[in-house]
Amino acid sequence: MKRATWMAAASVLSQELATTAALLLGVTLVAFLILYLAPGDPFAALLGGRNLSGAERDAAFEALGIPTTWYGQYLTWIAHVLQGDFGISMRSGQPVVREIFSSGIKTLFLTVGSLIVTLAIAVPVAAYSAMQPSSLRARAGTLLVYLFSALPTFWLGYMLIYFFTRKLGLFPILSATDETQEYGWLYALLPVVLLGLCNGTLSEIVRYLREEIARVMNEEYVRTARAKGASTWRHAYKEALLLPVSQIIAAKMPFVLGGAIIVEQVFNWPGLGRVTWQAALDRDYPVIMAITLLAAIVVRIGSFLHRTVYVAVNPRALQQ
Amino acid sequence: MTEPVNIRPPLLRVENLRTYFYSRVKRAFVRSVDGVDLEVERGETLGIVGESGSGKSVTMLSAVGLVTAGPGVITGNVTFHDEAPQNLLQGLDSNVEIKHRNGRIMHIAKNNQSWQKQADLNLRGVRGGKISMIFQNPRAALNPFETVGQQIAESVRLHTGMKSAIQAKERALYWLEQVRIDSPHLRYDNHPYGLSGGMSQRAMIAMALAAEPRMLIADEPTTGLDATIQARIVDLLDDLKTRLGMTMVLISHDIGVISRLSNRIAVMYGGRVLETGPTAEVLDERADGHPYTRALLASTPRRENITESGHLPAIEGEVLDTINVPCGCRFRERCQRINDTVHTRCETSEPELFEIAPGRRIRCWLYSPQ
Amino acid sequence: MKKKFHQDVDTVSEYSQLSAWKSASTSDRLNVVYGFAVVLVVAVSYVLGAFGWLPHDPEAMDLDTMMADPFTNGYLLGTDFMGRDILTRLILGIQAYFLPSVLAVFIALGLGSLLGVLSGYWRRRFETPVTYFSNLIDSLPRMVLMLLVIAAFRPSIYTIMVVFGITTAPTIAMLVKGKVMMLRERNFIESAVALGLSPGVIIFKHILWFNCRALLLIQATIGMAEAVLLETSLSYLGFGVQEPTPSWGNMVQAGANYLLQGNFWPSTAPAIAIMLTVLGFHLLGDGLNNILEGRQNR
Repeated sequence: MKRATWMAAASVLSQELATTAALLLGVTLVAFLILYLAPGDPFAALLGGRNLSGAERDAAFEALGIPTTWYGQYLTWIAHVLQGDFGISMRSGQPVVREIFSSGIKTLFLTVGSLIVTLAIAVPVAAYSAMQPSSLRARAGTLLVYLFSALPTFWLGYMLIYFFTRKLGLFPILSATDETQEYGWLYALLPVVLLGLCNGTLSEIVRYLREEIARVMNEEYVRTARAKGASTWRHAYKEALLLPVSQIIAAKMPFVLGGAIIVEQVFNWPGLGRVTWQAALDRDYPVIMAITLLAAIVVRIGSFLHRTVYVAVNPRALQQ
Repeated sequence: MTEPVNIRPPLLRVENLRTYFYSRVKRAFVRSVDGVDLEVERGETLGIVGESGSGKSVTMLSAVGLVTAGPGVITGNVTFHDEAPQNLLQGLDSNVEIKHRNGRIMHIAKNNQSWQKQADLNLRGVRGGKISMIFQNPRAALNPFETVGQQIAESVRLHTGMKSAIQAKERALYWLEQVRIDSPHLRYDNHPYGLSGGMSQRAMIAMALAAEPRMLIADEPTTGLDATIQARIVDLLDDLKTRLGMTMVLISHDIGVISRLSNRIAVMYGGRVLETGPTAEVLDERADGHPYTRALLASTPRRENITESGHLPAIEGEVLDTINVPCGCRFRERCQRINDTVHTRCETSEPELFEIAPGRRIRCWLYSPQ
Repeated sequence: MKKKFHQDVDTVSEYSQLSAWKSASTSDRLNVVYGFAVVLVVAVSYVLGAFGWLPHDPEAMDLDTMMADPFTNGYLLGTDFMGRDILTRLILGIQAYFLPSVLAVFIALGLGSLLGVLSGYWRRRFETPVTYFSNLIDSLPRMVLMLLVIAAFRPSIYTIMVVFGITTAPTIAMLVKGKVMMLRERNFIESAVALGLSPGVIIFKHILWFNCRALLLIQATIGMAEAVLLETSLSYLGFGVQEPTPSWGNMVQAGANYLLQGNFWPSTAPAIAIMLTVLGFHLLGDGLNNILEGRQNR
């Protein structure tokens, strides 16, 4: 690539990093403030269970090396985070990083798998709806997509368990009580399918893709492709598929993460979703802060990937 | 008779082509093309001229199946005779039920998928390979995501025997040179947005010719280009026509372009052909001709037209409403030459294309044999 | 499948403008009718529940008729695993989400329109902060934010829905801003200002009411659907209303074990209720979208 392209790409990258840093700061600040304003005292344990306030509290904090102001505490937290220290979980006493890392991998597995499922359903349905709207496939597909978007995830999950695990004996699942149970990838199949179907955005994705496909297929250059006997899809796929798919995935990433919380609950999947739920139950602040930051990072990564695809596909993007 | 006669059948023959679109908003059919007959002989250039909305583009687009006529229908016969005759609209009628009332199509029951499938089947191998097409707005008509060279090379690989990347590239460069584009090697790697209007039109011509087709359809190739560039493209087409012996159908509303490039002209209005004949005769103001054509010629911005009366005579009235097509002659509401003899006939029935000389036809009661 | 296209009259009058409803397709009309029906049923049930006009006592346990099928012993939709009437609990369950959802939608539309208008109308001052704020909110998954707030405050469903409304506002802001930009491009705003109209009139009457009302209405339906799903999900997770107060979410959760043993009904009844309701809002939004946007495309 030419030097000009490298420089343009570098500037795009630095822009993205700057925006991301600003957003992450904002997100963590908001989260921190929410927790700070909450009733109850997260520092109770550190204070040895004593209920202190005012000057005594400040003195105790100083003795422990904790800043007394909220921004001081926030900055300390940031400083620790930048060194990789997310604190200790209030529930388990273990370093937060370890818990999040191991459960995060499991949720990542679910998420990526579910995206594949979602796309595997959404793209064909959208394509048929766009090209042959009155066909049986298009109508049936759209109807099914709407149904699945309205069904409550948790109920569907239990139905899946009932039919596939209890009745048919396929796809084993994890028990609620045995935390040391060994498991393989087969256990992940049902949760992945459920998350792929019920992340709450399937119908939106189908609608958006269908509009884009229909619009692109009517573009002049696609007509030219048809006129010269070339495959219309080969010419259209960049604008009709790659760009909109990367855009909608980046936009809907937050919903997928949210859906994972429910799915992991149904299947007792020991992923980040369940950790989040547990932390909400226990009011485990260090864990929650870490998860918030991580979730925001994941969303930003999604947006960054979309940006990358856009620039890679679009010849004039770098010139702006 | 020792006149040289073209004994081979016409390359393209269009018979009674009708393309109707259905407007959901108005719950009515738009009769874009309403019974068009055309013939294109080998080696000649047929110019189709008419105002916007006359159906001239839709006619040729329908012939090569680029008008899907989604809600709508295409009927008629389009025979492409390369080595053997081939009906491009074959079998489409079996996918649709048409009901008439008072001679007009009022109801259609159409199976869109099988229609589309049949249309694509008919045109496989023909579109792009035997009949190529170039369009208005060349920069929009080229794929913005690929380089110009890649697109030309694709034509080469699809329709000629040269499948390897290197051969295709060489051939693409060859055609870029043929269309007299500047710096062909540089342009090969350009994306369409980096080319000017004139250059991208040359590129599109190169792409169309790279497939080595029997016939080229040019749909308003100069509209939208600057005047000076227009002239150059016309020169290019003229040059290519002569050197390659191309058969061409040129669609335009610009009479100047048509007169320069065509051997024969068809004048269209309201979805019908009103007049056909050799260019010189049709455009000769002093000779016989359809009132519409005469009025068109009188209204083109030329010095001769203005000096006499001091202003440019426009054609009175509005363009034909293709939904509510009047009975009788389509042009009668705007015709300046109606007289008492033909008055009643103009209002009640539509004239046929009367042949007033071999190869010269006019659809007007003023020229009927009676 | 054959599609039929039919022309009724020989001559189509140029001024024959069919109303938006009449020129809508059957499926769109069905969608809107169904959606309205759902809204009606929900609203009526809300009133019934608010006044306590219920067929049975929601907490009364009929130990003789447990896990009954519908239409047994006067229990229209059967009973659950504790012998409580399901229909009553379903009606009561609407209390858990109806008003909060409406509140959420109001906040979303209000805040969203405000932000959209601000960033579109007074671009220089507001565009950057509003965009930053929108990106901020979009960067957090809604569920995570909810759990964060729940962890901190253990708030009531109303507070949760207020937060939900705030998280939905950016989408609406972006759409409204898009409209404003479009009007700006068409010199609409410029000419209105030149005519001497005050910003207030321009914004409220012309921009919002004339141009955005279809958009806002449709977003309202989408918002309601999402709010219902959110409330049921949260109560499923145990963070919403607690037993014995019924919510459709906790009803499914409570019946889960029985479902896994083959007794579907106690969990499935509320699930069907959720599905029909959410579907109703979705289809209403879709149908309205096609009908109203179709009119603007003439």
